[in-house]
Amino acid sequence: MHSRASLALGIGLMVVSGYGVIVAWAWPWKASLFPVAIGIPVFVLAAVEVLWVALGRTERGETKDFQFSQDLPDREVLKRSAVGAAWIAGFFAAIVLCGFPIAVPLFVFLYLKLQGKESWRLSAAFTAAVWLFFYGLFDQLLHLPFPQGWLVALL
Amino acid sequence: MIEALFEGLLLVLQWKPLVFMLAGIALGFWVGLLPGLGGATTLALMLPFVYAMQPVEAFAFLLGMHAVVATTGDITSVLFGVPGEATSAAVILDGHAMAKKGEAGRALGAALASSLVGAIVGAFALAVAIPMVRPLVLTFGSPELFMLAIVGIAFIASLSAPGPRGMMRGFLAGGFGLLCATVGQDPQAGIARYTFDTLYLWGGLDLVPVLVGVFAIPEIIDLAVRRGSIAGALPDGRISKGALEGVKDTFRHFWLTIRCSLIGTFIGIMPGMGGSVAQWMAYGHAAQSARNAEERKGFGAGDVRGVLGPGAANNSKEGGSLIPTIAFGVPGSTAMAILLGGFFLLGLVPGPDMLTKHLPVTFSMVWTIVIANIVTVLVCFLFLNQLARLTAVRGAVLIPAILVLVFIGSYTSNNHYGDILITLVFGAIGFLMVMGGWPRAPFVLGMVLGKIAENYLYISVARYEAAWLTRPVVLVLAAIAVAVILYPLLQRRKAVHA
Repeated sequence: MHSRASLALGIGLMVVSGYGVIVAWAWPWKASLFPVAIGIPVFVLAAVEVLWVALGRTERGETKDFQFSQDLPDREVLKRSAVGAAWIAGFFAAIVLCGFPIAVPLFVFLYLKLQGKESWRLSAAFTAAVWLFFYGLFDQLLHLPFPQGWLVALL
Repeated sequence: MIEALFEGLLLVLQWKPLVFMLAGIALGFWVGLLPGLGGATTLALMLPFVYAMQPVEAFAFLLGMHAVVATTGDITSVLFGVPGEATSAAVILDGHAMAKKGEAGRALGAALASSLVGAIVGAFALAVAIPMVRPLVLTFGSPELFMLAIVGIAFIASLSAPGPRGMMRGFLAGGFGLLCATVGQDPQAGIARYTFDTLYLWGGLDLVPVLVGVFAIPEIIDLAVRRGSIAGALPDGRISKGALEGVKDTFRHFWLTIRCSLIGTFIGIMPGMGGSVAQWMAYGHAAQSARNAEERKGFGAGDVRGVLGPGAANNSKEGGSLIPTIAFGVPGSTAMAILLGGFFLLGLVPGPDMLTKHLPVTFSMVWTIVIANIVTVLVCFLFLNQLARLTAVRGAVLIPAILVLVFIGSYTSNNHYGDILITLVFGAIGFLMVMGGWPRAPFVLGMVLGKIAENYLYISVARYEAAWLTRPVVLVLAAIAVAVILYPLLQRRKAVHA
């Protein structure tokens, strides 16, 4: 799985840096100096990385960084990751459609009940606590401007 | 001078400045804990409240608040893998890894104790360095500052993943960070670069949504995949223990803590480099202190030295960045630029007056940094066990709460939905980086240094053309960059042949 991720990153970086250099070429030197100076070596290094993976050199390396848990089969990891990503995307969609004040309790409650399979009591109490914290600190104390969601604005 | 030092202490210990300082500490405590609420932003929000205060009261309030933000920011980084502050992201690498191994208490103990040591070193440097620092700052022109940025990236890229392949990925990640920093309106020619006709991108990619995405999203997904708590199935009793061990670690690696504090102070002194750079430089130095390749493998997997280094540098940089702010009116960071506004609001002019006529006020700032950090660390230690136990809470309960903080934290950067979208995009990139074994630290450093490096490169080329490359300090820094790249490769080769 890691070689596919590395390949995707390598190709992505080749596209991004290649596009960056081509676009920057048309700008005055003041604006293009840095993107071109950085973009060319990044493109070359990304091409080497892609070639490396394509030639079958798939060693993961010992990154000084956190690593995903490796005690589950790849298929299960992918499935659970996709479910996790879907919840995150769903929360974002809820914020855009309903606005923070509605999306926050809605997401917290649904996640606890559907994904976490928590009891009704804990789900309701925890949702209320998170909402109170959100409303008290960000709305009442800090007066942060949270726009209405698109759906709410339509109503 | 000694008289002024004690006068400064007495000024801070008067009841009104003390109360204002405690109020600032209480505010800074929560600002540091919450991701997205930045210390600099809070300083700006609090600035109007200092109008009616005396200078000592105002600085006790503002500095008291600012001095503890990095300390409590480390707590969120260690416990949840979400940077409480942009300046506490480096602590995640080993601090959160320790929390996952059930050593949250030890990691927090180490982070807090090293923060305190760092703050004291920074304050001490502020007290003694003011008369000496002028020639140092004047030696560093744009070419030297550009090379310093390159050394920083070389440092972290070569150390964050060993071997030629890992190093290449480190440089790729750093280069990608530098490229991301070019998004937005170019400061020299005014060209909108890579903005895709979107007004939101004209200001560039904000660091907070990017950082939160790159670090928090992969951790949250991993927590969802594991379906357990952060500390796994470890018994509760073990998690909260070890805080004292973390404190002992600070003294076991005392010279490393001091060296990283000095790195933080030095970076703090350099105008424009900022605290986000200091933590990564210190992390790189801590990783380099490993005696062999085997020891170096432990970094990123929960080596306490990876917590001590950035923890110390985070706090020592405050004293460092106050030096040019007070002595020359040149702010070392965004927060210091805002604090400089406070000087003018209070009718104080940075410069020689602060070192003569207002010397007690200057020393009161030194004492504020020290006292604020001591109070915060003591308060944190009182609640350390309860804090550490959060890592034993079920993921299903933690995930929604963390996600709410992550989304609000990134949204508050510009109060724009685009911030959350940026968090999601960089969350996906961070996820791929972790999965592919690419180090994330060089990316963040590239992103932080990008704008600074570009600015200094442009000034260097415009002012000196190619001649900037032959300046002595530039050559020395270039040699250091090459040595930093070659040293781990040679060390690895030696280990293979041994």
